[in-house]
Amino acid sequence: MDSTRAPVAFGRWAVPLLFGQLQQPQAAGRLRTLAALCDLLHDPERLQQTVTGGFLEQLPALLTDEDASVRTRTCELLHLVTAHSVGRQALLTSSVLPPLSRLLDDSSASCRTSVLRVLTRLALLPAGGAAVLGLVPKLMLKLQQQDDEDHVDEEVLLLSAVGRCSRLDARPALASDGVSVLGRKLSRRSPDVRREAAAAMMALSVPVDGKRQVCEGAGLPVLVGLLQDDDVEVQTNAAGVIMNTVIITTGKLQCLELDVVPVLLDLLSRQPEEDVRTKALLVYSLRALTALAEAPDGRRLLLQQLPLLARRAEARDPDVRRAAQTAVRVVTWTP
Amino acid sequence: MASASHSHRDPDGLYTFSSRPRPVESSSRYKEPPSELRQHNYGNIMYDRRVVRGNTYAQHIPLTTAQPNLAEIQRQQVNKRRATAQKRAWKQLRLRTPEALQGRKHIDVQTELYLEELSDDIVATHNECQTDAFLDKPATPLFIPAKSGKDVATQIEEGELFDFDREVQPVLEVLVGKTVEQALLEVMEEEELSCLRAQQRAFEELRNNELAEVQRLQEQERRHSEEKERRVAQQKEVLKKERETAEKIAARVYAQQYMADLLPAVFTSLRRHGYFYDPVEKDVEMNFLPWLMDEVNNSLEKRYTAREMLDTIIHDVMEKKLEEFEELETQSARD
Repeated sequence: MDSTRAPVAFGRWAVPLLFGQLQQPQAAGRLRTLAALCDLLHDPERLQQTVTGGFLEQLPALLTDEDASVRTRTCELLHLVTAHSVGRQALLTSSVLPPLSRLLDDSSASCRTSVLRVLTRLALLPAGGAAVLGLVPKLMLKLQQQDDEDHVDEEVLLLSAVGRCSRLDARPALASDGVSVLGRKLSRRSPDVRREAAAAMMALSVPVDGKRQVCEGAGLPVLVGLLQDDDVEVQTNAAGVIMNTVIITTGKLQCLELDVVPVLLDLLSRQPEEDVRTKALLVYSLRALTALAEAPDGRRLLLQQLPLLARRAEARDPDVRRAAQTAVRVVTWTP
Repeated sequence: MASASHSHRDPDGLYTFSSRPRPVESSSRYKEPPSELRQHNYGNIMYDRRVVRGNTYAQHIPLTTAQPNLAEIQRQQVNKRRATAQKRAWKQLRLRTPEALQGRKHIDVQTELYLEELSDDIVATHNECQTDAFLDKPATPLFIPAKSGKDVATQIEEGELFDFDREVQPVLEVLVGKTVEQALLEVMEEEELSCLRAQQRAFEELRNNELAEVQRLQEQERRHSEEKERRVAQQKEVLKKERETAEKIAARVYAQQYMADLLPAVFTSLRRHGYFYDPVEKDVEMNFLPWLMDEVNNSLEKRYTAREMLDTIIHDVMEKKLEEFEELETQSARD
């Protein structure tokens, strides 16, 4: 029927038979079997059968196969497995991760992208994130090496993997000089790269170390420039980084020097309230302004803009309302 | 137990009653607290006085009136007595055959036309009957009705049995169905994933917000506490300085007091020791008097020397005289 897929048995014999067929010597046959398996594993029942049947143990052998497309397909299969929690847990307990991490240096780009997809999804689970944290230095190294504009997907995936791991624990990324690497990525052409880099930076700027590094590394001017970017996501993430950085005093002073308050106020006044995507931008800007209002200069500037903040304080969305009320409270605080 | 039995009037006017089966409670003469305690001592139905035993066809069931008061009871008793009296009276009034005279006996006799023997035995006779064995019979011939109507014949040509459009339908249905099913699965998965992602994003945003808020508040607390500590330290220093100054002042005052006394004492002692001198007097003392004394010494010395010389002269003279006298004596002695 379909020449790119192996024939599938009926009912509960489908998965075991296909896995048995994976041992065949021809690469084409293996490829077809893998394609059929990929189709089947969208179904959660089959996935459960795969996981409980212990068929995942055959996959490490396939990951070291000679044919690149076989490897890519295996990684796609793993990507499907990580879609469900059972699969993720099984993946963590099985011995698939070391060969997978070795595949990061593979020659074929599609294989690398697939591996990165698997890692990104795995990093969503806290236990998985802990497993991927060990790979973070390697990922940072790859990020540094990648300065050409060709492999955008790979870069995006690398950045998102690093970002997600850093949300769990930002220290490994910070230790491998994450802030400067990400700072360079912030000025790329592709909006996806910028968005992911800004998101990763937001995760990195949560601990105090990160904040200090962002201030020292002169990342703030770039971020302020990003606030006026076209893509809403990039703006949101840049506002998030600024929100995290202005908590420490040096960040506040630097931002006030860079005259970031009018930009944020402009963003606030321009956003329509009902849009879900811009809600994050609104809240982040409000929080950044709140932190800036703790400095005397910032408070002076913001006291003049109090009506704008008060208008936002009557917003319908409870998060926006809370953030705006906090901002108003901080601005009108006197010692 | 009111919940056990239900009786109500149907809307049609029918009366229905239903009751859950429950064991009969034993009644006791003395009133007990109802329901709970009473449930535990069920009586044996065989020995319950309230249960009617024996033939119920002609039993006189007393009417159960609500509250038979005394008059009713009396009336009933009176009625009963009257009834029994009436019955007795009727019995007596019934006509009977008179008794037989002496020497005779009454005997029952049948007076019908035909005498019959009265006995309890029933006349019974035995009778048997048996059917004949079946004779062999030939098989009945098939019923073939007479021919009626027209004869018609058909012939199926090559390729007429198979109608592609009809036959292909189930195959097509399966194919399309499977494809659509797979597609639906994938679409559902993607939808689920996007829902999850949206939820995750909302959560992430909320988390970032709250994290930023928490950090800002932390920072604020830290700054406030630092400020407080600084102020406290400053205050302590001020206090210390004040104390020192007070001590210094006290010491100074004390020293001044001491010194105030000291000065006249010093002056007196100095004066006593002769440090304040009148220069003329001093000069006189220093220069004149020693010179005077020297001169006096000199003159006295001169006198002494003179006296000493005189003494020596006298001594010499005396010695000479002594010598001379001695010589004279010796001379005289010799002489």
